[in-house]
Amino acid sequence: MKCEDAKKSLPLFLYGELSFEEEEQLEVHIDECDGCRDALTREKLLFKSLDAAEMAPSLELLAECRAQLRERLQHVAPERSSFWDKIRQGFTINFHFAPGIAQPIGALAMLAIGFFGARMTPASFPGSVRSAGLVEPASSRVRYVEPVGSGRVQIVVDETTQRTLSGNLDDQSIQRLLLTAAKDPSDAGLRVESVNLLKSQPQSAAVRSALLYAVQHDSNAGVRLKALDGLKDFADDPETRQTLTQVLLKDDCPGVRTQVIDLLIQHHADSMVGVLQEVMGKEQNGYIRMRCQRALHDMNASAETY
Amino acid sequence: MPQGATRDVFAYPTSIKVLQATVAQAAVRMDEPELIRAAQRGDQRAFEQLVRLYDQNVLRLAMNLLRSPEDANDIYQEAFLRVYKNLHTFRFDCSFHTWLYRIVTNLCLDALRKRRVRREEDTVVETSEGFLDRMDTVEESRADGDPQRQLMSRQLRTRIRQVLDGLTPRERAVFEMRHYQGLRLRAIGDMLGTSEEAAKNCLFRATQKMRAALGDFV
Repeated sequence: MKCEDAKKSLPLFLYGELSFEEEEQLEVHIDECDGCRDALTREKLLFKSLDAAEMAPSLELLAECRAQLRERLQHVAPERSSFWDKIRQGFTINFHFAPGIAQPIGALAMLAIGFFGARMTPASFPGSVRSAGLVEPASSRVRYVEPVGSGRVQIVVDETTQRTLSGNLDDQSIQRLLLTAAKDPSDAGLRVESVNLLKSQPQSAAVRSALLYAVQHDSNAGVRLKALDGLKDFADDPETRQTLTQVLLKDDCPGVRTQVIDLLIQHHADSMVGVLQEVMGKEQNGYIRMRCQRALHDMNASAETY
Repeated sequence: MPQGATRDVFAYPTSIKVLQATVAQAAVRMDEPELIRAAQRGDQRAFEQLVRLYDQNVLRLAMNLLRSPEDANDIYQEAFLRVYKNLHTFRFDCSFHTWLYRIVTNLCLDALRKRRVRREEDTVVETSEGFLDRMDTVEESRADGDPQRQLMSRQLRTRIRQVLDGLTPRERAVFEMRHYQGLRLRAIGDMLGTSEEAAKNCLFRATQKMRAALGDFV
């Protein structure tokens, strides 16, 4: 690395925005070059000066902003699209308490209309609800009830409807839904299934990014392992390597750490010496220690740093 | 506060640490996606909690970019009102943080561009006691007693502000988000609607200008 390039890289180095390899090269250069070491010291000093020039809003200003916002929110209603308004209207049921026999008759009439209506509608009717993928609401909950006078009551019901979609994995809308499902915090099973499907499309940047996110942040080890499986063809990619290195040093699941070691030593094994030595220094799991030791031995590196 | 007592998350915070603690408590009680969904259903309390997860950083970003408490407040109000009105369009395609910051940075960039056109907003004003930099009255981020802050000369602070003024709005935004907010370039690219590489180039140009202008001071 030339001094000119090294000096240009210094800010990105301090921001931690260099790739793993670039950082390695710069560190090696700085170790050997007094001029660049001094430049790094000056750069750090500059950063400190900039840090000290940051302005923080006072708590009084923050409180004022919050009070104003609260006040303004009282006069603003969240916008709703006309489509959702219609849906909401559709979920608003008006009951009229009719006396005597009128209620069962009305109910029977509605049932009959529904039954015969469905029987008389052809299955292939182009505008039918079924062909649009809309089926019966999967769940419903009464949100609020309100008397509206003259014996009538208004009930608002929240309903969740199910829609079945099918398509290829490379279909953008399918992929988008899978990417959302892969981050659903409430359902680990759904995340496992979604990541399992997505992992066959790692060439898509969005999918790869979701897999990297899952490997790093998903609370479920099963999801992390599936995501790792999807990244195996990208073990050479600098960003993937950087993420995997962090996972190796932080993940609490021995299975995940073992898998990560296997992926990382496939390519650029030599650049892994430092990381593996660091793992050796703190790893409690015997198998992983043995795995690291074997990898270091294959690279003709010592298992410890001196 | 006695042990075991609960704290109202909406109560006026007495210090930054308390504020962070209350925000953390709120986040533990209901995680972000839950808060968003509840706010989408019209739960005002959930929306307030959501605001409190991010509003301190939003205000700090606006303050550092516009260097005026009044303008920062305007950005704060406009940004969260837009979020409130349009929350029903948020579909979890990106993180809420990215979505919110897109709104905030667009508002700030517009304000900076208008300011460049108007060539106004000089922070130095003439008073009966002579010229005064309004920003000297604004609290800086370092705590009192911080040796770094004490050592930093008024001259250097003024110079840094002049250099920041000389950056383009985009360079300024990228620099502020990376240096002071600690956001990754990839996230900054998403927020500004550009690539990580373009954000990296912006940051590179900004730091080059800083070094060139401040090299004699440090």
